[in-house]
Order: sequence, then C-alpha cells, then structure tokens
Amino acid sequence: RLARQYTKHEDVIVLDHAYHGHLTSLIDISPYKFRNLEGQKEWVHVAPVPDTYRGLYREDHEDSVTAYANEVKNIIEQAHKRGRKIAAFFVESLPSVGGQIIPPAGYFQKVAEHVRKAGGIFIADEIQVGFGRVGKHFWAFQLQGEDFVPDIVTMGKPIGNGHPIACVATTEEIAEAFASTGVEYFNTFGGNPVSCAIGLAVLDVIEKEHLQAHATEVGNFLMQLLKEQKIKHPIIGDVRGSGLFIGVDLIKDQAQRTPATEAAEHLITRLKEEYILLSTDGPGRNVLKFKPPMCFNMEDAKFVVDTIDKLLTGNIGQNSSCEWSEDQASSEMLLTSS
Amino acid sequence: MEERYSKAETLALRRKHIGPSCKVFFAKDPLKIVRAQGQYMFDDKGEKYLDCINNVAHVGHSHPHVIKAATKQMELLNTNSRFLHDNLVQYAQRLTATLPEKLSVCYFVNSGSEANDLALRLARQYHGHQDVITLENAYHGHVTSLIDISPYKFNQLGKDSKKEFVHVAPSPDIYRGKYREDHPDPASAYAEEVKKIIEEAQKNGRKIAAFIAESMQSCGGQVIPPVGYFQKVAEYVHAAGGLFIADEVQVGFGRVGKHFWAFQLQGEDFVPDIVTMGKPIGNGHPMSCVVTTREIAESFGASGMEYFNTFGGNPVSCAIGLAVLEVIEKEDLQGNATRVGNYLLELLAEQKEKHPLVGDIRGVGLFVGVDLVKDQQKRTPATAEALHLIYKLKEHHILLSADGPHRNILKFKPPMCFTMEDAKHVVETIDALLTEMEEATGMKTENNVSTNAQCKRKTTEGSSQPEGANESIGHMNGAACRQENGLYSKKPSLSSKRIRT
Repeated sequence: RLARQYTKHEDVIVLDHAYHGHLTSLIDISPYKFRNLEGQKEWVHVAPVPDTYRGLYREDHEDSVTAYANEVKNIIEQAHKRGRKIAAFFVESLPSVGGQIIPPAGYFQKVAEHVRKAGGIFIADEIQVGFGRVGKHFWAFQLQGEDFVPDIVTMGKPIGNGHPIACVATTEEIAEAFASTGVEYFNTFGGNPVSCAIGLAVLDVIEKEHLQAHATEVGNFLMQLLKEQKIKHPIIGDVRGSGLFIGVDLIKDQAQRTPATEAAEHLITRLKEEYILLSTDGPGRNVLKFKPPMCFNMEDAKFVVDTIDKLLTGNIGQNSSCEWSEDQASSEMLLTSS
Repeated sequence: MEERYSKAETLALRRKHIGPSCKVFFAKDPLKIVRAQGQYMFDDKGEKYLDCINNVAHVGHSHPHVIKAATKQMELLNTNSRFLHDNLVQYAQRLTATLPEKLSVCYFVNSGSEANDLALRLARQYHGHQDVITLENAYHGHVTSLIDISPYKFNQLGKDSKKEFVHVAPSPDIYRGKYREDHPDPASAYAEEVKKIIEEAQKNGRKIAAFIAESMQSCGGQVIPPVGYFQKVAEYVHAAGGLFIADEVQVGFGRVGKHFWAFQLQGEDFVPDIVTMGKPIGNGHPMSCVVTTREIAESFGASGMEYFNTFGGNPVSCAIGLAVLEVIEKEDLQGNATRVGNYLLELLAEQKEKHPLVGDIRGVGLFVGVDLVKDQQKRTPATAEALHLIYKLKEHHILLSADGPHRNILKFKPPMCFTMEDAKHVVETIDALLTEMEEATGMKTENNVSTNAQCKRKTTEGSSQPEGANESIGHMNGAACRQENGLYSKKPSLSSKRIRT
C-alpha cells in the first residue's frame, strides 16, 4: 500500500518461490503460493532467485550479482514495453521458503538501482530473519553492504518472542505520501502498550544477553561442523548461512544437484525420534533449515550435528525407499514454511 | 506513576517515529492514557475518564482474570499451531458452542482484517466466484483486499476507486437510508436492492462469491438492519452461488445483550455461512477468528495448499480467549448489557423528546447510536455539533466518539461492565451540553425544566424494579442522582459563542 501510494505505480517484482504472507494481496505476490492456487496476476513479475548453488547463475559464474540483477533489469524493460510501471521490488532479505538462500552481496544494490530508476522502491521483508539472527548485523539486508538501504522494511515473527506483533518501517517521505490522501490508517491492536512493552523487553534481552554475538559464535561453529559433514556425506550438497540462519541442501547426485526430497523428509522424521525438531524447505523440500531460538548453544549444535551424522551414516538416502511409508508421504504437506 | 516522557515529549517522538496517517483522538488536545481499569481510563495527570468508546476492552480494562490466564500461559508456552495443544481445541469448542451448530470450524488469526480477508478467500474458493456485494459505508479492514470492499474507505480515495468485482448495496438504515421507518417493509425493500445487484452482475457475466455485512454497521453510523433483511439477502445470494459473511468484529460476544452474536437479532432462522470476529475477543490482546461450516472448510482445504498463520491460535491467545468467555459468563455481562443498554436507551429517548439536535436514538444492548441533526424534518447531519459535543464531553471526563458517513452519530460501545450510574451520568452531561449548544445557536430546547427537577422527578416515581425485567428502567437512587448534578451547577460558558468545527 505504501509503495503504490508513493510511486503511483502498480506492478511488483518478486523472486521465484517467495512467500510474503497468506492475505489475498500477498498470495498474489508469493509464487510459492500462487503457483498452486490462483496463478500469476498480470501486475506481478517473477525474477530468478539469486541462488548461487541451485539457481541460474552458480558459484562458478564470474559475476552472478550482475547477472541476477540484470534479470530484474530485463523484467523492468519488458514491463515498460507493455506500458506497465513498477511500484516495488519485494524480497525476503534471505529467502527462507525458497531454501535458505543467501543472496550474493551487491545484488540488492544493483537491483535497487534498476528499480529506483524505473520509479519503484525496494521493500526488504525481514519477517523471518531480522533482529540479529544473522549475527554480524541486526538486519539481514545489512549483509549486502553498508551502502545498501531499502525504502521499506517489514518485520515480524521474532519481534515479540511469539506475541502477535509486526511492524513496517519506512522513510518520512514515503510516510508522508501515504498520509497525503488524508485517509486515516488505523489498526485496532497495532502499537498497543502491551505489545510495545514486549517489543522493548525483547530488544533489552537481545542486548543484555549478547544474542547477536552469540548467533555469530554458535552459527559459525554449526556451519563448520556441517561443512565437515558435507565432506563426509555425499548427500549434503551445500551448507550455507549466516549466524543462526543456516540451510543444508540435500542432493541425490553431485552433478545435477537433484533435491533429495524423500531423504530429507525421512531425516526429519528420524530426528524427531531422537528428540530434535528440524524442518525442511525449498522448492524441492530438501533443504534442512536451522533457525532456532537465539539462545541455541554450542552443545546443542554439536548434538544436532552428531545425530545427523549418525543418521546419515545409518543409510538415510541409500535405502530411503525401504523406510518410506504412506504416512510420511501425506505429512509432507505440513512441513513447509513457518 | 513514573512516566518516561512528558506529554509534550511523547507527542514529539510520535510525530517523529509513527506514520502521520495514524491519527489520535481529539487531535487538538490529545489524551495521554497511562492506565485503565474496568470502564475507566486514567491520563498522565491521574484524571479519570469514563470510557464509552472501547468495545475492545470488552470485559473491562485490565481485567484480573484475563491477565492471570495470560501470564500463566506465557510462562508455560507460546508457540504456533503446528503443534497440538489443548488450549486451541478447548477454545474452539467453547467458541463454536456459542454459535449455531453448523458453524463448527475455526481458523484463528490475529486481527479483524486478517479474519475478513480469510473469509473472502474461503468464499471465493468455494465455487470459484469472484464478486463481492458490500454495503454503503461498510468498513471491513485496512488490508488491500478489504479496502476494496469498504466504501467507508475507498470512497475517500476518489470516485473511481470502486473495483469492478465489488457491488455496493444501500445500507439498511431505516432512519437515514433509502427506505425509512415509514416504509411498510424495509427489510424486503433493502433485500430487493441486493437482488437487483445480483441480477445486474449476472447479466454482465459476473459471479457472486459473497455478500458481506457487519451485523450492525459501526463506522456506518450504528445501523441496526431491520429484522428479516439478512434472511432475504441470504436467499438471493445462495441462489446465485454465493455465501453470506457476517462481520461480527465490532459487535460480537454478547454486546447486544439478548444474544451472543448480533446476527442472531435477525431471527433464529438466520445462520450465516461465515462469521468473522475480532476486537473484543481477547479484551485487547491481538486475536481474531473466522468460523465457518465443515463444507466450506473442506472446499478450502481441497486445493491441498496449507493455511498457516504464525501467531494464530497460539496457546496464550487461546487462554486469553477462554478467560474472556469465562468472565462474560460469570459476571453476566450479557444480562448487564441488556439492563444498562435498555436504561441508556430510555434516558436517551427522553433527551430526544427534549432536544431538537437529537434526531434518532437507536441501539440494542450496549451498542447505541445518537444521531444528531440540524433539522428534524430533513435529518441534516449535525456534524460540527457532534464534534463540539465530543470535545466538551472530554472536558467533562467522558470519552465518546462520533461516526457515520457524516461524523454526526455519537456511538456508545463501552466496556460491558458499564453501569446504570455511568449511563445516567453520561446522559445528564449530554443533556446539559445539548442545552448549552442549543441556547448558543438559538435552537429551542423542549421542556425547559431544570435538570435538577427532572432528576428529582425520577427518584420519586422510580421505585425499585427488578433488574431482571427486560424493558424496565433500573432504579437510580437519589443520592447518586444528586451527586451527578454537581456537573452542571456551572453556568453554561458558551453564551453567544458560535459553534466552531
């Protein structure tokens, strides 16, 4: 709403496999959802995910940043040819449902350049990843570089430690354009004193307990352990992440990087039997996603990886079809984004 | 109470960090509220205000039973509904027990807007239809999809803001609408309008997914639809393959007194297909719910696509919801709403006889509207007068708001613990202020008996009447009455001052 009011344009560019929410207007901009429901609207444009492991341009590409950003540039040009105008580029700072993707640094800056030139603005969706999770920064978009500032940031989930709160932060300019219609924006529960007290308490704890530094420390350790596993187990195709936002991409073969969907599903089930709760995501439902509470510690990290090691060693992936049951197949629908 | 910032500082920080589209009440002299209890709010100076606005604090601000339930659960667990938990199922069970049997399936969300958006998704998924019929002056929420069906909002955005899949039916307002109290059958007449809309839409190859209406329009001006309207509309909408969505976000949970849900005022033979609820459900905690039939729920699930709501149905929200239901029951708040509401209506009806500014009094339970007019015949909305009255009431420590498309309708929807004394106090204050205003503009106040005498009259004739009787006025003892009179021993200060907007 803010973007459209500010730019007076309508169209939105999103990434493939994006998920921004369950409201009608957000299903419209969430390929993860609309591909299975209403289909793509004409004012929605889908850009390739800047996934350097599984995407169009991979780790061996000389400049994947420019290549991926040019995809967005092309989309804008195509839209303009059809007389359409871009209101916003809308992206999760670290696509989660898309498979724990870490966009290469510099991508956002280049995209922002193209989008702003077309009169649009950049919306960074930090709902899944904000509040210090990535360790070295408070916000995941900051991983892109100090020279990058989005026009609008949305935040949610962790903000109130489970209490229903969310927030949109933007510039004075955009806020004033929105106010200029004269129409009030009222949200019954938004900004109530209890939610704000909770929000403040969460910020206090993040600071007092040094959760950001902790996320870096434990996250790095976890990544290190997982990378050792990658060397040991061919089923692990990629380990990627920052702080306590980590993905382990499971594959059936190294050459094609075919998602090991059933094996991932099976591993999750076995982990639950070992009292470890983990979930999977990605279009191939094959990426183990770590995003635990920020007090997760070194022992926890070691424990999880040791268990995964044990289970992978014990033939998950090799004989997965033997242990695969109908029940597990039907429960697959449930283990999607959270 | 230790405040971090002075009121001026608070205001300055708000201007800096909160979107300017977010307004404050009484913009010329905002209130900083730091504490509230029951039906009272306290400002930064410790001044106490009677709250006639906050239906959200349904069982009363800071109700100990609700707080206790919330804290207890927060200490135990607050997580998402992908894990099993008793609070969720217990609450769903208790909530659906208040509804007609076929409304048995719940989707828990966190705001009225989310609930109404989901209601639209359910309705559209059902037969794959797109179009929605909404009422004039309706307000269903602030998310994009709901602005589309809220004329109260999209009309402010310009005359071409109505989308082609949205059809606007006349509001069934028998005081100010197309068919009024003198019409032989307004329910049918208004329903006929919906029928016409459906026929027109179908001629253009359009298909109706839903008719959505607030069971009683609030922003639209405390409009109570005539009985039978919903049934007839539902008939037409169902025939066209659409569903009936009753938006109870503002008015549910016993506010109307005689029923738990406002749609039940239409008659026992009326059952909507989808009901949305919000605001009062958690006494201020962000929660909301959509309830529908098994059939509609299964159709929604048939796509195979999961519906997940991060915070919806979490154990803390459900514990709070249960606590609210318990208080409503234990404190007989529905009974109170009927008794106090009826009394309030009686008092206001007297004011209508007395004051030419009062065009209409309407309401049920603790949902009451006072329609202020400049001209009784033409029913010209008295917008400036309403605004002035609101500000004066605030000076007298009474919080009331005005709404309706012309902002001329005083709307009462206080916490459900509102008492007879509160009702009397508000009306006496309004009486005095209206007299003041009418004198200032030269309008004639009928029955210019001094209010002291009037009050005495009540105490002598009003003997104790059983509180259970629906239509009776509750007894007001003389002491309370005389106490309230202290308010207008003051001479009116307006005299020749013109009423300014």
